[in-house]
Amino acid sequence: MRIWRELRKNKWLYAMSLPVVVYVFTFSYVPMSAHLLAFKQFSPGKGLWGSEWIGLDNLTFFFTGPDWLGVTVNTIYLNLLFIAAGTICSLCIALLLNEIRHAYFKKVSQSLVILPHFISIVIVNLMVINFFNGQDGMINRIFSQLGFEPVYWFQTPAVWPCLLTIIFIWKGAGWGSIIYLATLTGFSEEYFESARIDGAKRLQQIWYITLPLLRPTIIVLTLLGLGRIFYGDFGLIYGIIGDNSLLFNSTDVIDTYTYRSLRSTNMNSYSNAAAVALFQSVMGLITILFFNWVVRRVDNDSKLF
Amino acid sequence: MTANQTKLTNLASRSKQIKLAKQRDTSQLAVSLVAYVFIGAFALFCFIPFWLVYIGSFTAESQIVQGFRMLPTKFTLDAYRFLLQGSQVYQSGFVSVFITVVGTAGAVLITSMFAYVVAHPKVKYRYVLSFYIYFTMLFPPGLVGYYLLISNWLGLRDSLLALLLPLLFSAFNSFLMTSYFRTLPFELNEAATVDGAHELYIFYRIIWPVSMPVIATIALFYALSYWNDWFNALMFIDDPHIQPLQMMLRRIVSNSQNLDYLNTNVNIPVSATGVQLSAVVITIGPIIFLYPFLQRYFIKGITIGAVKG
Repeated sequence: MRIWRELRKNKWLYAMSLPVVVYVFTFSYVPMSAHLLAFKQFSPGKGLWGSEWIGLDNLTFFFTGPDWLGVTVNTIYLNLLFIAAGTICSLCIALLLNEIRHAYFKKVSQSLVILPHFISIVIVNLMVINFFNGQDGMINRIFSQLGFEPVYWFQTPAVWPCLLTIIFIWKGAGWGSIIYLATLTGFSEEYFESARIDGAKRLQQIWYITLPLLRPTIIVLTLLGLGRIFYGDFGLIYGIIGDNSLLFNSTDVIDTYTYRSLRSTNMNSYSNAAAVALFQSVMGLITILFFNWVVRRVDNDSKLF
Repeated sequence: MTANQTKLTNLASRSKQIKLAKQRDTSQLAVSLVAYVFIGAFALFCFIPFWLVYIGSFTAESQIVQGFRMLPTKFTLDAYRFLLQGSQVYQSGFVSVFITVVGTAGAVLITSMFAYVVAHPKVKYRYVLSFYIYFTMLFPPGLVGYYLLISNWLGLRDSLLALLLPLLFSAFNSFLMTSYFRTLPFELNEAATVDGAHELYIFYRIIWPVSMPVIATIALFYALSYWNDWFNALMFIDDPHIQPLQMMLRRIVSNSQNLDYLNTNVNIPVSATGVQLSAVVITIGPIIFLYPFLQRYFIKGITIGAVKG
């Protein structure tokens, strides 16, 4: 009854939220039921509910298979590289942009470093192919001019964690710096004024004042990143690596693996993919709950919930 | 204290100040120098790939096979001619523009209404609504469910709705907007309620006009996600008539024999690379063109969301 009265009282406000409530129910809650497929043998004719229960077979198949450890390690390793490199680069860009007094230079350079964020992965992929491909790729030309041996990038898995990190930085570091820069410009000028009077050099001001003030922002953003450590950057990795199995050793992540299992011609492909997706969602939920607990202890105001 | 002594102390303090100022100058100068060099270098690093693509798209086939150049060697419009005389680029361009315009309008409308309700202090169950959305971020539905939903349950294979619906709402954008709406003074709104104004009227006539920075920001985010989407097209759209530009690009990039796909019947000898590059320029074009207008909005919009959120 209390619920009814509240809904009636603010009926227009609740009505305004209705489109999203219905949408999210359809597009996020309904598909969650597909996690059940992890315990079923999917047959397209019978659909999700009609398919037979087969217990833990799909999960056993995944965990006893050769791939699960590799894709899990790759996912975590690549994410750690992205988080570490991304945080450091974004932070440096924000700190140094803040030092630039020349307004026009600042504006132009900021626009340029953010620009790659707006470009689709398809275009990034095309750039990567043209710069790195075979012997004619631009990078190999430069290498040969400098007297180095050409590297066959698309056949050398070992270079890709590093290359993907560089691409990630190229695409996202400038964008990531906006949040730091916004926080930075909010700091009171008084701190720096008094430090200057005490004779602190510019570098000391950055090290002893700016960075400690930024600490909570850095911690929270890093923990948010860590909370999503089981989710590979599908767009970036699938967009660039695609189905090039020569590179799977170092680049195949849980998301790309699921996508391939889903598309495979294997009879049971949906159920196999669902088992991997379930593993990912459960691990994802555990990590985010864990890191939220950590955030609460570090800085209670920044907790997610 | 005699006049002389005062003069002396004044002098001493002034010389100390001058010394300090000099010190500050050198350390400031060093940091500034590093800042200009590093930021300049990183900005170039970000920009050069775009420049190479742009120049490459105007370069003759005979030159382009020898690699990318910073400056054009042999100028030609052949690649563009080849691309623009085919029918596919117009079809795909139309699909891209259509889903971007319609999708963004719908997304901004429903997101802003929802975010406003979640931010509204009068709504008792606003935290329930907020958690309802938040839970989907904690426990995403997963690829299999998403695929089954769109292709089997809703039956949207080869339909424009498969490009429109999946991107219609983003929890992240909704939270960004909510944190902006929370900063608005709700007295403004109470005064209107007392006057008997309708909730919808208040929202569109009072809240909407003062929220332009955040609405522009969110609109930009949605528009970019529609414009740059290729994944939904890859999964659900096989019919070339409704494949957006990004998908067209992906098809000619992933297989350079695929130039037939562009439906050109003119016979110009072009290299696949040249055509790919001109297609990239056409695809990025609108973003670069709108960029300066939108930039001042989105930095403001994100800042508000980030600092207050």
